[in-house]
Amino acid sequence: MTQNPIVELVDVTKRYPGVVAMDGVSIRFHPGEVHAVIGENGAGKSTMMNVLAGAIQPNEGELRVDGKTTSFSSPLASQAAGIGVVYQELSLCMNLSVGENVMLPELARRGALSPLASLRAGQAARPVLERLGMGRLDPATPVAKLSVAQQQLVEIARVINQDTRLLVLDEPNSALSPAESEKLFEVVRALRAQGVSIVYVSHHLDEVLDLADRFSVMRDGRLVTSFEKSPELTTDTLVSHMVGRDVATADQYATRPGVADHMGEPVLEVSGLTAPGVFEDVSFTVARGEILGVAGLPDSGKDALGDALFGLTPRSGDVQVNGIRLSPNRPVHSIAAGIAYIPADRRGAGALLTMSVAENTIASALGRFLRRGFLHRKPIRETTEYYIGRFGTKVAQLDQAIATLSGGNQQKIILARGLVTEPKLLILHEPTRGIDVGAKAEIYDILKGLAAEGLAILMISSELPEIVLHTSRVLVMAEGQVTGQLSGAKITEETIMALATRSRRHAA
Amino acid sequence: MSESTSIAREEPATSHQRRGQLWSRLVARKELGVFLALVVMCVFLSLATSNFLSSLNLLNVGRQVSLLGIMAVGMTFVLISGEIDLSVGSTYALSGLSSGMLIVMGWGLLPAVAAGLVIGVCIGLVNGVLSTYGRLPSLIATLGMMSIVRGVALLMTGGQPVTVNTRNGAIPEVLDRFEFMGQGYLFGIVPMQLVFFIVIAVIGWLLLSGTAFGFRVFAVGGSAKAARVSGINAERVKLWSFVIMGVLAALAGILSMAFLPSGQAGRTGLGLELDVIAAVVVGGASLSGGVGTVLGTVLGVLIIGVLRNGLVLLGVSPFTQEVMIGLVIIIAVAIDKWSTRSRSA
Repeated sequence: MTQNPIVELVDVTKRYPGVVAMDGVSIRFHPGEVHAVIGENGAGKSTMMNVLAGAIQPNEGELRVDGKTTSFSSPLASQAAGIGVVYQELSLCMNLSVGENVMLPELARRGALSPLASLRAGQAARPVLERLGMGRLDPATPVAKLSVAQQQLVEIARVINQDTRLLVLDEPNSALSPAESEKLFEVVRALRAQGVSIVYVSHHLDEVLDLADRFSVMRDGRLVTSFEKSPELTTDTLVSHMVGRDVATADQYATRPGVADHMGEPVLEVSGLTAPGVFEDVSFTVARGEILGVAGLPDSGKDALGDALFGLTPRSGDVQVNGIRLSPNRPVHSIAAGIAYIPADRRGAGALLTMSVAENTIASALGRFLRRGFLHRKPIRETTEYYIGRFGTKVAQLDQAIATLSGGNQQKIILARGLVTEPKLLILHEPTRGIDVGAKAEIYDILKGLAAEGLAILMISSELPEIVLHTSRVLVMAEGQVTGQLSGAKITEETIMALATRSRRHAA
Repeated sequence: MSESTSIAREEPATSHQRRGQLWSRLVARKELGVFLALVVMCVFLSLATSNFLSSLNLLNVGRQVSLLGIMAVGMTFVLISGEIDLSVGSTYALSGLSSGMLIVMGWGLLPAVAAGLVIGVCIGLVNGVLSTYGRLPSLIATLGMMSIVRGVALLMTGGQPVTVNTRNGAIPEVLDRFEFMGQGYLFGIVPMQLVFFIVIAVIGWLLLSGTAFGFRVFAVGGSAKAARVSGINAERVKLWSFVIMGVLAALAGILSMAFLPSGQAGRTGLGLELDVIAAVVVGGASLSGGVGTVLGTVLGVLIIGVLRNGLVLLGVSPFTQEVMIGLVIIIAVAIDKWSTRSRSA
């Protein structure tokens, strides 16, 4: 690259309390180049995007535009410098037309949304739509009627129309079909030919491999490496750069739950499980004493699996626990059949936040604590104290509000609530999210102990180390389907990432 | 609260300590504040007026607040479950007028009262179904029902007053027993309305604080999502809360009819829903659900009752009384909110 970079970050650091989100990152973005930024969840990609967008200000380091040091006090300042960001969550006004959305910054400045202004906006929007190969789209069409792919292009058109020289695309194809992705890539290539610098943030490695001219890999807030495209580059190379953290030591592997030791008969049997629009035809079993992990990227559909299995969201397909078929949409039946579920959103869906430690512990099995129709204190106290002692939960009083506990202690209480129902199967979704390291280790120990006692455990998690070290078998999902199963020594971050980034387009 | 949080970071309390503290929320600070306010008001009134503290006046206050109190017990369930019911004033009118008309038509006491209560159950069911399975906000569903039920009462009576007496056709002994329900005195001293209120309050207290159903009401109101994850059928719990509310509004309406004993569809119980909600909120329940007690509600009802009585005894004009009551509602809830915020911070 002989040309000077449009935008350059020099030793940029962004700290949050307890976390360094970006750690001395230096990176250059050149005109007419597609620059892929890849990395796991939490690698620092979003932070970098937000720095470019002017949404957050770095603690240290320099931001240079056309070689001149500058700083963005707000997203508007970033836009004025020619930087445009299209986030994964689109920000279109669904009640307005294509033309109005494209011209929205202009219309907002003039404060005019009259029929005449709309007509003019439609005319004004035509050139940029043509530039993006959407000349045939009528600017008067309401965006609500467009497909997600078209909406995304409209958003790109709006950003490009503001003299954008650096276009940041955040997971642009996570919601697109292969054909729609191809259309998006054409647009990206066209913009590149027009001299726009494009930052392409994505998990889909095989796609960025085709598209990008330069690759930067982030890990734990640092820029690990940056290199130009070369013919010998493969997705495996990218994966190894991404997960390159210290590979788990032999010691840690030794504590991994065994596969064959106490594997019993299947407890959960799932076949053809489908949640419309999220995942389809998912089939697997979980055996007694087994911890089955489910891994996948955020758009893989794995995050909807727990709610669907437990019956909180609609599903079709067959779900059996110990041979009993579960009816969908009936959490009460799921509990009766022997499922305990711990959702990912601990404060919103897990804990009964307005209630006490004791009340949270007994909530799923009230019938057990009734004497002549009334809740009886003694067994409630005994049960709560038993689980507090067993899990080492730090609680001052049994009637203390659960909201006053730390995340780890809350999770132990929620775990106790599930176990009070004497389940056959425990489903956990992001079991240690937002929990400190010490409590995490305690929770893993608890889960291993429960598995050893014969409980079947399904652990859905976005944290690869957690999956690698604490499961005996792993199911990997991508784009709403199961792309593979791993067990024993085959479970590594590399093998999981390879399956998780496999897109349907390439698998087919 | 802040004290117990800091304790939580240190070593766990012994089981003996815990035993003493468990369920101590029965006399949690919330009710204590309302109770102290009530005591202050009573002390002031007994010093400022000569007849406030007489047993006759106190029993009179008890009777005056009874109908409001019966409905407030029901509203406590609805508010804790995270919903609201604006149709209770109309239910009060329709049920009371229906029972009264049936007695005038020559029905016996039990069938007439039962019919009035069934109307309350049905209105509660409709409110509950619309607000849960129908996915309407209960504010809207019950606002609509408030108007519909009032309209039905107007259609049923043709807008004419209904007076229950023998001249209109009521059987004399039925009328006697009906009037006893509303006007009579137990053991010749305790007003029957107060007896109903006490019985309802005790049942409501046991149901809410001691049974699985009461537990579920709190759980659902605190977080319907977390309640579902815990295996609680949130829709059913809310539905039953509305039914309880409907029955109690009907009971209050019937007792009112028995007390007067007349009513008019265009006037009876008009605006009563707001008085009921105000009393429950003064008693510490939260409009956002998950918080409240029957004891607090009873105290809230008494505060409003004592205030009205006291203002009359002090010779304050009825117009000024309205201003005073409004102020008390705002001040009571403001104190509660501000102290809650500082506690949770």
